[in-house]
Amino acid sequence: MPRPHPGTLIRATLRMAAGVFVAFIIFAPLSSLVIWSFTRKWFWPHPFPQELGLFYWRKVLEGDLFRALQSGFFIAVIVTVLTLLLTIPLAYLLARYPVPFKAAILLVFLLPHAFPQLPVFVNATTLLYRAHLAASVSGVVLIHMVGALVYAVWTMTAVFRSIPASLEEAAWNLGASRVKAFFTVAMPLATPGLIASTLLVFLYSFDEFTGTLLVGSPFVLTLPVYMYRTSVGYELQVASIAALILMVPGLLLLVVLERYLKSEYLSMFGRI
Amino acid sequence: MTPRLLSLAVAAPPLAIVVWLFFLPFLSSAHLSFIRDGEWSLRNYALVWRLYKLDVLYTLGVSLLSLVLVIGIAALVCGYLRLVGHRVVEFLFKVPLFVPFVVVGHGMRVLLAPRGTLNSALAQVGLIDLGDPPSIAFTWAGIVIALVWKNLALAVLLVLGAYRAVDEAYLEAARNLGASTFRQIKDVLLPMAAPSLVVASAFMFTSMLASFSIPLMIGGGEPPQMLMVDVYYRINYQDDLGTANALGMVSYLFAMGVAGYYLRTITVRPV
Amino acid sequence: MDVRVEGLVKRYGRVVALDGITIGFPSGGMTAILGPSGCGKTTLLRALAGFNPVDGGRIVFGAEDVTGLPPQARGTAMVFQQYALWPHMSVFDNVAYGLRLRKVPAAEVRARVEEVLHLVEIGQIAGVMQRRPGELSGGQQQRVALARALVVEPRVLLMDEPLSNLDAKVRQRLRAEVRRLQKRVGITTIYVTHDQEEALAIADTVILMNAGRVVQAGSPQDIYFRPENAFAAEFLGVSNQLAGTAEAGSLSVGAQRLPYTGPVRGSATLLFKATDATVIPDDLTTESGQALLRGTLEERLFLGSGYRHYVRIEGESVMVDGTEPVEAGPVTVRVPVEKLKIYAMASPEPVTDPARSTRTL
Repeated sequence: MPRPHPGTLIRATLRMAAGVFVAFIIFAPLSSLVIWSFTRKWFWPHPFPQELGLFYWRKVLEGDLFRALQSGFFIAVIVTVLTLLLTIPLAYLLARYPVPFKAAILLVFLLPHAFPQLPVFVNATTLLYRAHLAASVSGVVLIHMVGALVYAVWTMTAVFRSIPASLEEAAWNLGASRVKAFFTVAMPLATPGLIASTLLVFLYSFDEFTGTLLVGSPFVLTLPVYMYRTSVGYELQVASIAALILMVPGLLLLVVLERYLKSEYLSMFGRI
Repeated sequence: MTPRLLSLAVAAPPLAIVVWLFFLPFLSSAHLSFIRDGEWSLRNYALVWRLYKLDVLYTLGVSLLSLVLVIGIAALVCGYLRLVGHRVVEFLFKVPLFVPFVVVGHGMRVLLAPRGTLNSALAQVGLIDLGDPPSIAFTWAGIVIALVWKNLALAVLLVLGAYRAVDEAYLEAARNLGASTFRQIKDVLLPMAAPSLVVASAFMFTSMLASFSIPLMIGGGEPPQMLMVDVYYRINYQDDLGTANALGMVSYLFAMGVAGYYLRTITVRPV
Repeated sequence: MDVRVEGLVKRYGRVVALDGITIGFPSGGMTAILGPSGCGKTTLLRALAGFNPVDGGRIVFGAEDVTGLPPQARGTAMVFQQYALWPHMSVFDNVAYGLRLRKVPAAEVRARVEEVLHLVEIGQIAGVMQRRPGELSGGQQQRVALARALVVEPRVLLMDEPLSNLDAKVRQRLRAEVRRLQKRVGITTIYVTHDQEEALAIADTVILMNAGRVVQAGSPQDIYFRPENAFAAEFLGVSNQLAGTAEAGSLSVGAQRLPYTGPVRGSATLLFKATDATVIPDDLTTESGQALLRGTLEERLFLGSGYRHYVRIEGESVMVDGTEPVEAGPVTVRVPVEKLKIYAMASPEPVTDPARSTRTL
């Protein structure tokens, strides 16, 4: 057996070291959460928790955390369904037809990305308060939809644009009505992209913090706001469990869909 | 119904939501920033100047430092990933994309606090004295680390995409003339991907400037603070909409500056 | 089904894509619309299919004015340049789509799909039918696209550069098959292409377009051998162009004079094909029926089938093909008078005998 070149061995070791180093950087904050979530007692300055266990997991899954998870999930589902219903037809029209004021419409859905959200949402809260929608689920749904629509319009318009118009023309040409062609040709081809866009919208709503904190307080509690409250209240175990649960949908997506998601969708996820 | 009317009818409800809850509030914050005690005045801005000028500089400084670190690291790491390749590292860098900002804030808090897990670990190896633990969280460094950690994923994704779009032939030509990995990054990849880097930087700078949950959770209790935290405290603890909106206007101005720079760069770029 | 367009106009903003076109497409025939990219040929085809509403004029199928009809109601079937086969459906579902829209019973759908796939000679029908279009070769995809169009028995078959995405060999073979198939089914077919060789090979009638207008229409032989103007001559083959001045009885090219009896006066363009000319070592004897031009042979390339000579005549370089190599130096280029086309310069209208016009079909 030929001996490997010494340079190869060094290089392989360096590669491994690079992998370990990056893994450490990435997982350091995340693993701290895991340790804290299983900690029963940890007195400073001990390097390790004195007592580990599922105590807090059991405790929180019965209490407020579970309710926050429930209402946050419920809100995210409503936001996702409403956004899909409003966006799919609009995105299709924007991609295919000379919609009047098209550039202006697209700009309306672009600008919210270019400005800081918090000061705007502070004033939006006042408007919702005047409409008697503040501190209600409807108010939180509406404030989530601002961001959700912005993501959805752009990604879904891009999805429909990526389907060649000739595929639908071929169907019209054979006698299919526009509606029939939309459902037999455009929709099936757009489905993978629309699913990615839907997951993005769901994740955005599920993880949304700023708008929920401002509009939802004090009655509507979602997981991110609950986690924030417990974290700054030094209930570190509870906050860490909430943080881990918050990461589950995103990490599932990353592991399952990483291969299938185009990088432009991935980059959208980074803005949440 | 004519096609034009139909398409406007379809566009109306989502437009209404965005206009009602983004554009109107935006205008209202411009309006309220000039109102003090029910009258038009510039006193809100005077107050911003008196109390918050350091915070504005602090916000710009933290954002700029984070941006430089993110782009610098991404430019080098992506060069390595593009030229040599490392699937594990590439995957690892995508993880923060899917970790929400609030979770990053909390995770960094637990890790970097004086009594956090990092100090525990470092004390184990004898690097620090637990009697007087250093604090990274609750300082500018904590905010920078958290912002870099979260944004690096996005930067790697965008920059790597731009690097991958550079034709292999250009790199082969450089390699053929004896360019090292670093020289290939510096002389070929970086200049050719520059427009994409500008786009990524512009977007990330605004997002760092406007970051709220991370500085809220990991920033110190003492001034100076990041601008968004100031806005929130001004409303939550002092119920002072006028000054909060004046602070908001300052942040919009910076965002517009960035957008203007970005638009100029993409329109000036040769076709 | 006889197809006619009358005064058809289409504008895109300020660009005039179709500039008042009036032309007929003979029933049951194969008509090729030929022209450079941007000449309006695809716009014309899409107007016939009903995809683009026109700004003026009429489109008539047989006795029916279809100008205002949507694409669904026109009874045309189109074969698209990129095939436009639906990637999420099997080959069978692609071809059956039009029949199912017409509520044809399932058993008959199956029979007719198999029949048409047989007709387009796709081979191994049973295996191919359940595959997705993406799994087939370009040539096979083209056959499926053709089958999908033919199965609905359209009144008019429209083909938009259907072979342009295939490699040269497959293109040559499919060209012959498309022509044979069209003769067999006898559907009025309109075929758009930018490849003059393809248009000449495949069609009964060729319509040459430029800048939104019809330049010349006629049989392939008419178009090739009797181009009516400089554009037609230039577009249809490797042509040489020389500038000259025409007057009664003579034509001068630089310092050289040729006998001339045609109608053109003043600045003129002389055109001849590389294959029509011969190059001979310099000799000054005149021959009746031959135009002789003196020049210098600068370069010679071996093409396999023969030699291409580059000769400089009065400052212009021309190409002359021949089977025998000629040495560099002073030479004479000989062009049979009837192969030398002379057009008034910068005149879009051909200067020809009106009796020979092929414009009416």
